[in-house]
Amino acid sequence: MSATARDHWCDLAVIGSGIAGFAASIFATNRQIATAQVGNTGAIAYTTGYLDLLGSLYADPNPLVNPWQGLAHLRQEEPHHPLSRLPVELIRQAFNEFTTFVTNAGIGYTPPGDENITALTPVGTGKQTLCLPTTMAAGPLALAARRAAVIVDFKGLKGFSGRQVVANLRHCWPELCSARLTFPGMARGEIYPEVMARALEVAGTRRELADQLRQAAAGAGCVGLPAVLGMHHPDRVHQELEELSGLTIFEIPTMPPSVPGIRLREMFEQLFPQRGLTLIPQQKVDRLSFTDDGPLLELADNYGPVTIRAKAVLLATGRFLSGGLVADRNRISESLLQLPVSQPAERAEWYRQQYTDRRGHPIHRAGIEVDDSCRPVDRNGRVVDPRLFAAGVILAHQDWIRGRCGAGIAIATAFRAVAAAEQLLRR
Amino acid sequence: MTDTPTIHFKEQALALLPAGANFDACLTCGLCSSGCPASGIENMDPRKFIRMAMLGMDRELSTTPWVWCCTQCKRCQHVCPMSIDISQLVFLARSNWPRELKPAGIVRSCELIQATDSTSAMGLPPEDFVFVVADVLEEVRSSQPAFAHLQAPMDKKGAHFFVNQNSREPMNEPDEMVPLWKIFDLVGADWTYSSKGWAAENFCMFAGDETAWYEVIKKRVAAVEELGCRVWLNTECGHSYYTMWQAISRFGLEVSFELESLISYYARWIREGLLPVNSDWNRDGIKFTVQDPCMIVRKAYGESIAEDMRFVVRTLVGEENFIDMQPNRSANYCCGGGGGFLQAGMTDHRRTYGKRKFDQIAATGAAYVLTPCHNCHSQMEDIGHHYGGSYGVVHFWSLICLSLGILGENERTYLGPDLLALLA
Ligand SMILES: Cc1cc2nc3c(=O)[nH]c(=O)nc-3n(C[C@H](O)[C@H](O)[C@H](O)COP(=O)(O)OP(=O)(O)OC[C@H]3O[C@@H](n4cnc5c(N)ncnc54)[C@H](O)[C@@H]3O)c2cc1C
Ligand code: SF4
Ligand code: SF4
Repeated sequence: MSATARDHWCDLAVIGSGIAGFAASIFATNRQIATAQVGNTGAIAYTTGYLDLLGSLYADPNPLVNPWQGLAHLRQEEPHHPLSRLPVELIRQAFNEFTTFVTNAGIGYTPPGDENITALTPVGTGKQTLCLPTTMAAGPLALAARRAAVIVDFKGLKGFSGRQVVANLRHCWPELCSARLTFPGMARGEIYPEVMARALEVAGTRRELADQLRQAAAGAGCVGLPAVLGMHHPDRVHQELEELSGLTIFEIPTMPPSVPGIRLREMFEQLFPQRGLTLIPQQKVDRLSFTDDGPLLELADNYGPVTIRAKAVLLATGRFLSGGLVADRNRISESLLQLPVSQPAERAEWYRQQYTDRRGHPIHRAGIEVDDSCRPVDRNGRVVDPRLFAAGVILAHQDWIRGRCGAGIAIATAFRAVAAAEQLLRR
Repeated sequence: MTDTPTIHFKEQALALLPAGANFDACLTCGLCSSGCPASGIENMDPRKFIRMAMLGMDRELSTTPWVWCCTQCKRCQHVCPMSIDISQLVFLARSNWPRELKPAGIVRSCELIQATDSTSAMGLPPEDFVFVVADVLEEVRSSQPAFAHLQAPMDKKGAHFFVNQNSREPMNEPDEMVPLWKIFDLVGADWTYSSKGWAAENFCMFAGDETAWYEVIKKRVAAVEELGCRVWLNTECGHSYYTMWQAISRFGLEVSFELESLISYYARWIREGLLPVNSDWNRDGIKFTVQDPCMIVRKAYGESIAEDMRFVVRTLVGEENFIDMQPNRSANYCCGGGGGFLQAGMTDHRRTYGKRKFDQIAATGAAYVLTPCHNCHSQMEDIGHHYGGSYGVVHFWSLICLSLGILGENERTYLGPDLLALLA
């Protein structure tokens, strides 16, 4: 009696709330597919906010300038890579639809361009990415123009140091210096980007910070800050701080847990239910099975058992960090359905001798195998179940960290999987 | 002088936690601390607590006063990729403190709850409760002609609803009970108060006193069973629901009634047309936000009750006049009044905790916060004053009666000048 079972019905059930899961829900709701989504905290809470398509080809030590041309090389070098199996036009369409959606939802993103952008990492090195939050956009421009700028950090904030950023960039950006401020109302103890971001949703905090920034800029005209400019209205917070201070302001991602990822997650959690999606936030599916009536998801929240009955299901459960893949002493397995995982034959082959080996480590390429419609297949290449689709970094034959292609794989394969699921559902 | 015994946290954690949720799994990612309003108080935060437990720093953890600043709101668990629940260790640590060293306010509240059959944390005995209800009823009947027939049944056997009541009303502001009676009257509810086990609040759980918690709940369950009510209806109080609901499964109690929240009934009665509220009265576009109490949203019903609450608010104040706090629903921050914090006498710490809530409210720019919880209510008022906010905090029942044009003159304690002006 103290727990009530709740049952949901939908056409498409999305398992996972990383970039792949959220992207799938965007694509599905845009196509009027009745969707339900379940997922816990995963990699998205730690992400920089950058949406990488392809930043590096591992045979080539240089940063990749044109990711679209890079895809052609990738296709030759790594034909099994999930991005190699998708038409370039489809990938472009997927990025466009994703960035348009999040921008309209209040978190502005730069649209996918023809070339990569050299963006800043939390430690002040450069990295190649395709799209970035508009709150970060002025950083790469200032870097390119070598504009006089001040990198500001805050007393009590760990994992972001203006001096470190400057030390790593000084050689190519001479007019860069740093300053340390006390965040309004947070003079003591450790402070967190998440807390600062929420405090900046309050007008009074913005006014105080703007005053401090104006003084810290000392005539430089341009200021870089850790990514703390608001949680729910980052563009508004950013714009208002620029107006109040008269400065050009840009954010730099921080170490996890980082605001840009929490922004995305909380925005989706607000918006999807309003768009009619059934969202079960911060929960994991305990069991996924296939009945004659369709896929059945079973889970439990604080209040009791929950079931979701769907016509098709999309697995976007990520890798080890998020729990889609699990490893014991000897084998890597897929956690929900025990799908076959393509992996090195033995544990001894998981890692190469040298940690920094340019070729990367074979374990990072482990994952599940799918056909061209993103349907998982068994060892004989047969579709496991026509109602099952998979997307994101759970897929085999990619090393998204080395390739700088995390979001790219997630967004593009989610697009493909939803298109395939839509075909099935419309039949 | 009594000493606090040392708990072996790591060992206890293994026994306490469900499979797959062990503290070894902690990634030290810091999401819990980054999202916890108690982080930094007493130089502690949830991640640190876990790390110290793993490192065997049991003495420090057994004695840190921080366990009285963690409100056991479970937001850390909500955002944790590994679903690690720090509040269970905090409960364990609280239980372990010698009674004399525990915050006296919480202990005293728990003692008072046990002292009478009322189970009232303010120690109001049954006969006084019966008297106050009768007295107020008489007053309303004679002074408000439209409610000359109003009922406030006491110990009515076989009534459908057993209605609980936070002691604050009969004790300090008895007129605040009336709006709810009017609502029951309007929808034709078959309800009763009980002279026994009527009080809502339950600080024994927060005192870490499991035996007392169990005893209180047993009394309340017996009171409902004695009257043979079908539904124990929890009114606008958060932890009263949680302590009852949790206790029933935790202590394996058999009960023959349902536990329900008044919020769901408000929503249902509005949908069914029994409560014909609307927002026409809000012609000046006064803005409202809503506080999701952890105890009924994140820790119990989840999104469904949060949706019901929003449905009620939107209907009451107008879609365009409702502004959600961010984050909200299950991801909402605890106000800082929970876990016995309001009773613990740690005012500075409590206000530090509440700063997060204050910022959330301030960011909405709303003139009022609606909340179905007395602890949230008191805490949000206090931090509003402390941090110089200009918002008011109102009960649902006040606004419902205001919308229906039946809010009596003595029932307007929490209305600010703008709302009072509408009634003039
Ligand atoms: C520190 C860090 C920095 C990053 N920086 C970048 C960057 O700069 N650029 C970039 O493009 N990408 C970046 N990424 C990568 C990116 O965030 C994602 O990892 C990537 O896009 C893959 O997304 P995904 O959705 O496939 O998997 P994940 O993001 O791993 O999501 C998997 C989801 O599945 C859920 N899940 C798992 N099991 C279950 C279950 N049983 N039931 C329900 N849900 C389940 C998890 O809770 C999680 O929500 C970064 C990641 C990290 C960790
Ligand atoms: S959120 Fe969970 S995994 Fe991360 S540090 Fe806290 S307890 Fe550990
Ligand atoms: S239960 Fe709430 S107050 Fe306690 S550690 Fe977790 S988030 Fe913080």
